[in-house]
Amino acid sequence: MATAWLAPDSLEEALDLRAQRGGEATVLAGGTFLGILMNQGFLRPDTLLSLGHVAGLDRIEVVDGELRLGAMASHREVERSRAVQSGWPVLARAFSLVASPRVRNQATVGGVMADADYASDPPAVLAALGARVVLRSARGERTVSVGELIQGYYETCIAEDELLVQVRVPPAPARAVYRKFRSRSSEDRPCVAVAAVRGLAGLRVVVGAVADRPQELPEVCALADESLPDFELAAEIGRRYAEGIEPMSDSRGSAGYRRKVIATEVRRAVEGLA
Amino acid sequence: MTLVGYSQDAGVEGMWHAAFVRSPVAHGLVRSIDVSGLPADCVALLPEDTAGLGRYGCQLKDQTVLADPVRFVGDIVAAVAAPTRAAARAAAQLVSADIEELPAVFDPLAAVAEGAPLLHPETGDSAEDKVSIGVRPLAGTNVCHRFRLLQGDVESGFAEADVVVEETFRTASAQHAPMEPHATLASWTPDGRLELHTGTQTPFNLRDDLAGIFGIEPERIRVIAPPMGGSFGAKTFTRLEAVVACLARKAKRPVKAVLERGEEFVTLNRHPAVVRVRVGASSDGVLVAKQLDCWADTGAYADCGPGVATKMGYAGVGPYRIPHVRVDSLAVYTNLPPNGAFRGYGATQSVWASERAMDLLAERLDMSALELRRRNLLRDGDRFATGEVMRDVHFEECLQAAADAVDYESDPSGRGLCVLLKGMQTPSRAAISVERTPVGYIVRSASCEMGQGIRDSLRLQGAALLGCEPGQIEVPDPDTDSSPFDTRTTSSRSTHMMGRALAEAVRDLHGNGGERGYGEIANDGGLDPDTGQGIASTHWHQGAAAAQVSVDDDTGRVTVERLHAAVYAGRVVDRAGAELQNEGSMIMGLGTALFESIEQADGQISNANLSDYSVPALGDLPRQMTHELIEREGAEVHGLGETALPPVPAAIGNALFSLGVHLTDLPMTAEDVLEAMPEVVG
Repeated sequence: MATAWLAPDSLEEALDLRAQRGGEATVLAGGTFLGILMNQGFLRPDTLLSLGHVAGLDRIEVVDGELRLGAMASHREVERSRAVQSGWPVLARAFSLVASPRVRNQATVGGVMADADYASDPPAVLAALGARVVLRSARGERTVSVGELIQGYYETCIAEDELLVQVRVPPAPARAVYRKFRSRSSEDRPCVAVAAVRGLAGLRVVVGAVADRPQELPEVCALADESLPDFELAAEIGRRYAEGIEPMSDSRGSAGYRRKVIATEVRRAVEGLA
Repeated sequence: MTLVGYSQDAGVEGMWHAAFVRSPVAHGLVRSIDVSGLPADCVALLPEDTAGLGRYGCQLKDQTVLADPVRFVGDIVAAVAAPTRAAARAAAQLVSADIEELPAVFDPLAAVAEGAPLLHPETGDSAEDKVSIGVRPLAGTNVCHRFRLLQGDVESGFAEADVVVEETFRTASAQHAPMEPHATLASWTPDGRLELHTGTQTPFNLRDDLAGIFGIEPERIRVIAPPMGGSFGAKTFTRLEAVVACLARKAKRPVKAVLERGEEFVTLNRHPAVVRVRVGASSDGVLVAKQLDCWADTGAYADCGPGVATKMGYAGVGPYRIPHVRVDSLAVYTNLPPNGAFRGYGATQSVWASERAMDLLAERLDMSALELRRRNLLRDGDRFATGEVMRDVHFEECLQAAADAVDYESDPSGRGLCVLLKGMQTPSRAAISVERTPVGYIVRSASCEMGQGIRDSLRLQGAALLGCEPGQIEVPDPDTDSSPFDTRTTSSRSTHMMGRALAEAVRDLHGNGGERGYGEIANDGGLDPDTGQGIASTHWHQGAAAAQVSVDDDTGRVTVERLHAAVYAGRVVDRAGAELQNEGSMIMGLGTALFESIEQADGQISNANLSDYSVPALGDLPRQMTHELIEREGAEVHGLGETALPPVPAAIGNALFSLGVHLTDLPMTAEDVLEAMPEVVG
C-alpha cells in the first residue's frame, strides 16, 4: 500500500535499478510536478526512484565552451550560476522566470525536460539554443536534441532503462531573447513563450507552451537573411508563426487568443534581437 | 512574540487520522458502499452509522453527515480512520461507492429554469428546517432563499427617468486559499462529551449544529478554536467537524483530519453570481430608479447562501439616495461544491455590477463618473433604501480621497472609481469577561484569531481601558466551555463589537472591586426578507477605490499602474494591523479582478491546485499601491477587515471602460480585454 522509496547514491546504482525496474519505478527528481500529480491522486506510483542522493548529478560546468547542466541542478542554481549568467544570460533569465523562488529551489533541469510538460519555460529556450540532452543507461549513452526528446504531451523518447543525466548547451550566440507572456499571475506558467536566437546558423525561433511540444518553423526563420530583421520582417515572421502553428486551448487562453499573442510575441522577440 | 498552535498541529496520544471517500459524480443516489477491501486496522464510517443523526446547516438544515443523495463531485459519502494519515488516505482509496447518477445542473440561471433537476425536492416543505428567521425557500424549486427589497414604485421611477441603462454582469467562483487548510481534531470523553480542536470562525454556531446532529445539549460539546493560518470565510459553520466527530465515536479514539489543498476546492468556495442592473437618472444626473436581480449560486447546500444573497441584494443598491428601488436576489442550488462566506460577503458580486453600471450611466449622461456619484451619495441623516437612517456617513470623503490619489479630476482617462457600502452582521451579540491575574489580566472571548489580529486588537484596547501594558493581558483561545457567547467572528465585526463589550466589562470590573468584570453588547435589527425594510446593519463599512491602468494593445494584458483604497475607520485601534487588512483586501481584490476563477466541467473542478488556480503574487501588485484609513475625532471604532476588497474590481473595470473596454464578467482576463478592445482607427 505504501510507496517504496529507492534512493541510490551513485549513478551506476541508479542505472542498475532503472535496468531492473524499468517503468515500474517512477523517477523522482525535484518532485514539483510529481508532487502535484500524487497529491491530486492522478498518479499513485508503487515505487519511486529518487535521484536526490546521486552524487555529482547537480553539477553545472563549462567544458570546451559547452555548458553542461546536471540533471539534478535546480532551476535556482541555473539562474544564479556565474557561468550561466556570463555565457548564457538568456538561459539564466528563462530559468529565473519560472514560478517562484520556492519552486525554483526544488525544480530541476532533468525533471523539467523529462516531464515534457507543454507549459514549462526551459524546453523552448533550450531548443532554440540547440541544446542536446544526454540519456544514459547500463547499455551506454546517447544524446538527442530537445525536438527529439519531447514527442508530445508529457511524452519523451527516454527508454525505460534510461535516465536523463545532463543537458549540454553549445556556446550561446551573441543575440538571444526569451519572452514569457503570462495571461494571469506573474508566477503562472506561460500562455505563450518565445525563444529567439541569432547565431552563425541564422535565426531560430521556438515557441513554447502553445502546443504539445515546442514549435519551430525553419522555413519562416529562413526569411531572415544575414541582415538583422527590421520591423516589417519581424512582423511577417510573427504572422507566419501564428499561421503555421495549431495552438491549443487551456485556462491560460483559447487557441484563437494564443494565435494573436504568438504573432505579437514572436514579432517582439525577433525585434529584440536587433 | 506569541507561540501559535494551529489546529493543523494539534495532536493527542492514540489519535487516528481521517480520510474521506468522495463522490465522483455530481448528482446521484448511493446504492451501496463496498468496504470489503479495507485492511483490519482502520475504521470506516458508513451511512448506517449516521442514519439516526440530525440534519444540519447554519441557515437551512439541508445537510446530513454523509451525503445521500450526493449533490456535487466531492460530496462525502463515507470516511475512514487509520493510525496514520497515509494509511487513512490509502484505505479511503480502497472504498468504492456504487452511485446511480441523476441529472445535474451547474449554472444558477439553468437551475431556476423550468424542468431543472431539483437538488433538494423537500426545500420549503418544513418550517422546522429553517434555523434562521427570515429564510425564504421557494417550494419545489432550487431557490433556497429569495430576498426582496422594495422602496417606492420602480416602474414609475423608470418612466420618469431621462436615461436608463441596463446590463447583466457575472462573477466567477473563487477559493479562499488560506495557507493552513481545514483541520479538525475530535474526541469523546469517557462521560460522553464531544471535544473539538478546530479551525473555525464560528465556535458557537458549530456547537449548536453539532448538538442538533447528535441530539445532545450544546453544553455537552466543547469547541476550542486555536488561531487559524488564514480563513477569509472558509472556516465558518460546520465543515469537517460532524464527520470527524462521528468517526471518533465509531473508532472510540480521537480522530484528526487535515485537508489536502485539492480538497479545499470542494469544501467551500465563493458564490459565483449573475447580477442584472437597471438604473435610471434624470438628465442632470439625479438617480430616480434602480432594479437589481441577483442569482447567487450557492452550490449543493445552502450554507450561508441566504445571507450572502441578502447582502448581495442590499449592497448592490449602493451608497446612494434613490427614491424607487426594487431588488430580487435569489440563492440558488446547483450541483457544485458549496459556496459560502468569503471576504467581501456578497458585496463583491453586486458592487462589481452596480458600480460598473454607474459608469455606463455617466457615459450616457455625458457626465463625469465622479460627479454622478457625488450628486447621489448618501449623506448624514439620509434614509437608505431599507428605511434606516444613516449616521456617521463618510462615503464622499472616501470617494474623493480615492479620486485624488489617481488625479482623477485632472485626467479621468485610464482611471476608474468605485464606492461602496457594506453591512455588518445584524442582529448579533458579543460578550467578554475580564479577570485579574498576578501579572495583569486575562480576557476571555469567542472572537477567533485568523491572522486578522483580533488578539492584538483586544490587548491594545484592554491596555488602554485597564491602564496596563498590552503584554500584561492574556487572551486565550476561544473555548465554548469558558469563553462568553459571541455570535461569530465574521463581517468585520469583532474589533467594533467585542471592543465595545470589553469597555463594558472593564466598567463592570472597576465597579466590582477590580477582580472580574463581564460585558455584553447586542446590535438589534434585521431586514424583512419580503420587503427589505428594517435595519440591515447597525454599523456601515464605507470605502472607495480608484485605479489607473494601462493595456498592452496587442495582448490585452492589463497593468495596474496605481491602486488606492480609502476606508472609513472611525478610530484606528491597531494601525499596523489595520493597514495589513487594507492591503490584504486590495490584493485579494486584484486576484478577483484579473484572474481568479474556479473552473469546472460537468461539475468536476479542473484547476483544484495552486499551480492551475492563480492567486496574486508579489509580482502582480500594482506599480503603486496605496491606501488610507479615514479617522474622525471621537468616532467609534469601525470594522475594516474586508471593505477594501469589493471596490477593487469595479475600479479597474471602470478604468478599462474609460479606455473603451467594456467588460461585464469577472475575472477580466487579458483575452477578454483584447476581445473588447475598440478598433484602433488610423
